[in-house]
Amino acid sequence: MEVSAARPARVNVKVLAAASLVVVPLLAILVLNLGRDPRSVRSPLVGREAPGFALSPVGGGAQVALDSLRGKPLVVNFWATWCVPCFEEQAALSAGARAFPGVKFVGVIYEDEEARSAQFLKERGEPYPSLMDPEGKTAIAYGVFGVPETFFIDGGGRIVEKHVGPLDSETLALLVRRTLESAR
Amino acid sequence: MRAVITLALALASVAPASSGPATSGPPPSGPPLSGQALDARTESVASLLRCPVCQGLSVADSPATMARNMKAEVREKLAAGYQQEEILAGFERSYGEFVRLEPTLHGVNWLVWAGPIAGLLIGALVVGAVLRRTGRAPAAAEELPSRHTLPDDPRLAVAVLRVRELAYGWPGGIEGGPGARGGESGGPAGSRS
Repeated sequence: MEVSAARPARVNVKVLAAASLVVVPLLAILVLNLGRDPRSVRSPLVGREAPGFALSPVGGGAQVALDSLRGKPLVVNFWATWCVPCFEEQAALSAGARAFPGVKFVGVIYEDEEARSAQFLKERGEPYPSLMDPEGKTAIAYGVFGVPETFFIDGGGRIVEKHVGPLDSETLALLVRRTLESAR
Repeated sequence: MRAVITLALALASVAPASSGPATSGPPPSGPPLSGQALDARTESVASLLRCPVCQGLSVADSPATMARNMKAEVREKLAAGYQQEEILAGFERSYGEFVRLEPTLHGVNWLVWAGPIAGLLIGALVVGAVLRRTGRAPAAAEELPSRHTLPDDPRLAVAVLRVRELAYGWPGGIEGGPGARGGESGGPAGSRS
């Protein structure tokens, strides 16, 4: 204590002010975003009408259009066979599709071959249709950055949530319930 | 009016995704492009779009499939007659302003444009102030005792002379310094108080 009393700390007010000018806003940004879930990406589409699509299912068949899926909440999952986290969430999504019969599920293949996707679905089972997006137009319209990404759309066609990364059963159930509630 | 058109086109651009871009909604506002003009415009508009799956690469520069798809969409829209701003607004609606490599001039974005200029000005002011301060230094130096002056304390003066002699070979200080040689006889008498 005596040493510090003998040598009073010299504070350069100008340096302190300049440093505060840089550090304080950075700290404010950090603190304000501490509570945010990094997987919950703020998409400009959340709260807006979901971009329409009309895509053919894997393996062929009649096109599935977004308009034909309206009326019930919809989960749109972008995935690919080359994406390991997509494997991880597939069980949760399949279980979710069975657990929530009032909710429609649809997969959209992202940058992948139809034959490989068909083989994957054949091996793992296909509780809901997956659609081919050959030129990636649907992925672009939904602002997809990578897979897996999942959109939760209410019965009115409005995007309620966007989830980035693999879904577990709890998160899926939570987001589905939130979508169901938003429709009321 | 322009804002309304931009918004309407943005809406149209994300409409039926599978059946080509903007098949519904207002018609394109410009002439359809083709040939070399289309190639050149595609490159220039794609260079303004950020590739969403890359690290700081434009859609024009990226070899990623996503970037190629986006570039193809830009090309389709230009061929249909959509203008640069209408196309960029369409992508912005999906990806947010992040997708623009050149942020528009509004709100906080002003900082991006004005920040470097402001930084440059502040830097110039700081450099100017420092230069002014150091520019004044030589004037102050004249008031300092020159190298060959000696301290008032005779014992200290003798010590200084001895050190000078050891260091420079004679007691007058550095050769060629202010008032070097001749200005001083080498004794404490040459000291200035």
